[in-house]
Amino acid sequence: MGWLCSYTPLELIYAAGFRPFRIIGHSKPIESADSYIHPNYCQFVKSTIDLAIEGVYDFLDGVVFVNSCDAMRRLHDVWKRFIPYKFIFLLDIPMGNFTLGSKYLKMEFQKLKIALEDYSSNVITDVLIEEAINLFTETRALYHELNSLRMEDPPRMSGREITELTIELFHTDPKSWNEKVKAILKEKRKTTTNNDNPRIILSGSPIHDAEFIGFIEDCGLNVVYEDVCTGSKFFDIQIKKSADLLGSLSEAYLNRTPCARMMKVDKRVKSLIVVSKKFKTDGIIHHSLKFCDTYLFDVPILKEQLMAQGLSVLFIESDGGLGSLNQLKTRIEAFAEMIR
Amino acid sequence: MVKTDMLKQYFAQLEAALKKKLETKVTARRRFIYEISRIGSRIFDENWSIGWTTVFVPYEILNSMNVSGMFIEFFGAMLSGTGLSQKYIEIAEGKGFSTDSCSYHRSIIGAAMDGLIPEPDILIGASIPCNGGVKALKRIGEIFHKDVFILNIPIEITNDSIDYLVEQYEQMIEYIETETGRKLDKNRLKQTIKYNNQAREYLIEANDLCKKVPSPANSNDLKNFIIFILLQGTKEGVEVAKLYRDEFQNRIDNGINGMLDEKFRLLWIQNRIQFKTDLVEMIEKEYGANIVIDELNYIWWEPMDESDPLRSLAKRMISHPIVGPAERRIKTLVKLSKDYKIHGAINPSHWGCRQSTGARVLFKDALQKVGVPILDLDVDCVDERNYTPGQIKTRLEAFMEMISNV
Repeated sequence: MGWLCSYTPLELIYAAGFRPFRIIGHSKPIESADSYIHPNYCQFVKSTIDLAIEGVYDFLDGVVFVNSCDAMRRLHDVWKRFIPYKFIFLLDIPMGNFTLGSKYLKMEFQKLKIALEDYSSNVITDVLIEEAINLFTETRALYHELNSLRMEDPPRMSGREITELTIELFHTDPKSWNEKVKAILKEKRKTTTNNDNPRIILSGSPIHDAEFIGFIEDCGLNVVYEDVCTGSKFFDIQIKKSADLLGSLSEAYLNRTPCARMMKVDKRVKSLIVVSKKFKTDGIIHHSLKFCDTYLFDVPILKEQLMAQGLSVLFIESDGGLGSLNQLKTRIEAFAEMIR
Repeated sequence: MVKTDMLKQYFAQLEAALKKKLETKVTARRRFIYEISRIGSRIFDENWSIGWTTVFVPYEILNSMNVSGMFIEFFGAMLSGTGLSQKYIEIAEGKGFSTDSCSYHRSIIGAAMDGLIPEPDILIGASIPCNGGVKALKRIGEIFHKDVFILNIPIEITNDSIDYLVEQYEQMIEYIETETGRKLDKNRLKQTIKYNNQAREYLIEANDLCKKVPSPANSNDLKNFIIFILLQGTKEGVEVAKLYRDEFQNRIDNGINGMLDEKFRLLWIQNRIQFKTDLVEMIEKEYGANIVIDELNYIWWEPMDESDPLRSLAKRMISHPIVGPAERRIKTLVKLSKDYKIHGAINPSHWGCRQSTGARVLFKDALQKVGVPILDLDVDCVDERNYTPGQIKTRLEAFMEMISNV
C-alpha cells in the first residue's frame, strides 16, 4: 500500500495486511509531470507523478494520501484522475495548537481503518493493531539506537549511510529491516571512523535521495541528524499503551516533532535546539524545496529565532534534483569552513 | 504621520468620494464598494476590535461581536489595485519570503512589516483554502507578538465533522471574548443568520438573472464579489444584494443588456487580476465577450437555521466547493458552465497559488468534456513585476479567436 506523508499511520496499513511502501519520487529532472500538474509544485510532488505515469507504482494495491499541504491535496486529485487505483484514500489531519485535534484525527484513523477493512476484506482487530504498533515501535527504537552512534564524535555512521537505510525501510518489510539493523548495529559498534569535519543537522523539506546528504557530507561536513520527514524525524513517534488504540495512535502522530505544515514553528525551534545539544552539532543547514510553501514560509522566522539562540544556520533552496546541487557547493563549503 | 494613518485616510477618502457619488446616483456596485470602504474605515473605530483573518472565516460571528474583520487576501488585492503592492512585496522578499509564494500574502506581510496595517486584537486563520494563508497570518501575528487561532475545516461533510467545526467555533468565540473582552450577543448572531438568509436569496436571484442571454450584467458588475464576505450577516449586505437583484431585474425589464453586443459568455475561475490592465475591456470591446459568472460568486450553501447558527455556519463552510479534493470544485465549474451557457473559461492560474494551480489540468479535462475550452493565463494576479501584457494579450486573442471559430 503506497503512502507519502509521515503522518500516515503505518500501523493501520500493516494491520490490514498490506506492506507499507513509501512513494518518494526521484531526484532527476522532471519529465512528464508538468503536463498533469502546474510546474510550480515541488519536486516531491512532481517526481511522484512522473514515476506514477511511467507505471513504476503499478504494483501497488492503492495509495493513502494525507491532506498535509495544498500540494499533497492536489497530488491526490491528479493521481485519482490519471492513475486510477481501486483504493485511494485522502486522510485529513488538523494543524495548529489543537485541543480538539486528536479527537478529529482519531475519527479520521477510524475512517481509514474501515476503508482498509472494506478493501482488503480483512478485519483489523485490536490484536493486529497492537502487533503492528509493537513492530514499528521496535523499528523506531532500533533506528534511535543506530542514530545514537552519530552522537559520538566522530560519528560512527555517515548521514548518507543512515539515510540509505531509512529509504530502504520505506520500501521493504519492516520485520526484515529490523533484523538487518540489528546486524548493522553489532558491526558498527566495532568500527571507528576518523574525520573531524563539523557536525550539522539537516532540517527542512523532504529529501528523496541519500546522495543529497552524501553531497553535503562531501562538502566537508558530518550530517548527524536529519530533521526531515524522510530522515531521523520520521522515527520520532512514541505510542503510549492504552486500550484506546486509535486514540493512542492519533495522539502519538499529532504530538510528534511537528513538520512545518503543522504551524508550530516554536516547537520546531525548540526541537532543533534540543537535537543540536544532544548531537553536539556545530550548525544547521535548512533546506527548502523550491515551491514548498510550508517550509519556505518558515524561513524568515526560523532564521531570526535560531540565530537569536546563537546557532549557525545556512538556508538553502533547491529543486531537490541532484543536478542542481552543484550550484550550492560553494555556499555549503564556505559554511563548513565558517563553523569549523 | 504614522503609516496606519495613511490607511485610515485612504478609506476615509474612498468612503467620502463614494458617498458623494451615491448622492447623485445609486448603483449596486457603487453601494457595494462604499460599504466595503466603510468596513475599511471601521478598523479605526474604537468601538470595534480588529481581526485579521484568512478569507473563509465566519464573519457573522465576528460581526456579532463587534470585531471588524479584514481578510488578508482582500488587503493584498487592494494593495495591488492601488498600485502599492510592489513596494510591500519587495519588503517581504527582502526579509527572505520566497518569490514563488503567493503575492497576496507576500504583499500583506510586507505591509505589516512596514507598519501600514493596524495591530490586530485577534487573528483567525482557516485551513481552507490554503496553507499559505495560515502561514502568512502566522508571520503577521509574530510581527505583533500574537498567535493565530486556527480553524481546521474538515474535508468531508458528516455529522461528526460538523460537530467538530461547531466545537472549534465555540472555542473561537471564547478566544475572541478573552482577547477583546467582547461577549457574543446570541440574539445578534441569530439576526446575522437572518440577514445572511435574506442576502442569500437576493444574490441567488441576481446570479440567476445573469443566466439570461444576453446577461443584464457586464464583466465588472460583480468583479471580486468574494469580498462580500465582509458584509455577510449585516443589514448593509442585504441592501447591497437587493440592489444588485433590483438593478439586474430593472435592466431586463427595460431591455438594457450588461454590454452592447454580447456574443460570447465567459466563466472566470477563482480571482481576477487585481492590478490595472485593459484585458477585460479588450475582450469586451474587441470580441463582444462578457464574463457572466465568476466561480467564487456561486452561492453554494443552503438557507441557514436561525435557531442553530453555529451548526449552520459550520455546514456552510464544510460544503464549500473549494474544501477537500478538487471534485466538488470541478462539479461546480461544470454546473456553472452549463447554467450560464458558457463559451469559454479563463483560469488565471495565479502564480504561487498552490491550492488551485495544481487542479488546472483537471479543470481543463472536465470542462472540455462539456465543450467549454479553457485558457490558463499563468499570471501573477497581484505582483505586476513579471506581467507581460503583450504576451497575455496574444494568448487571450488566440483563445477568443478559437472560440469565435467554433
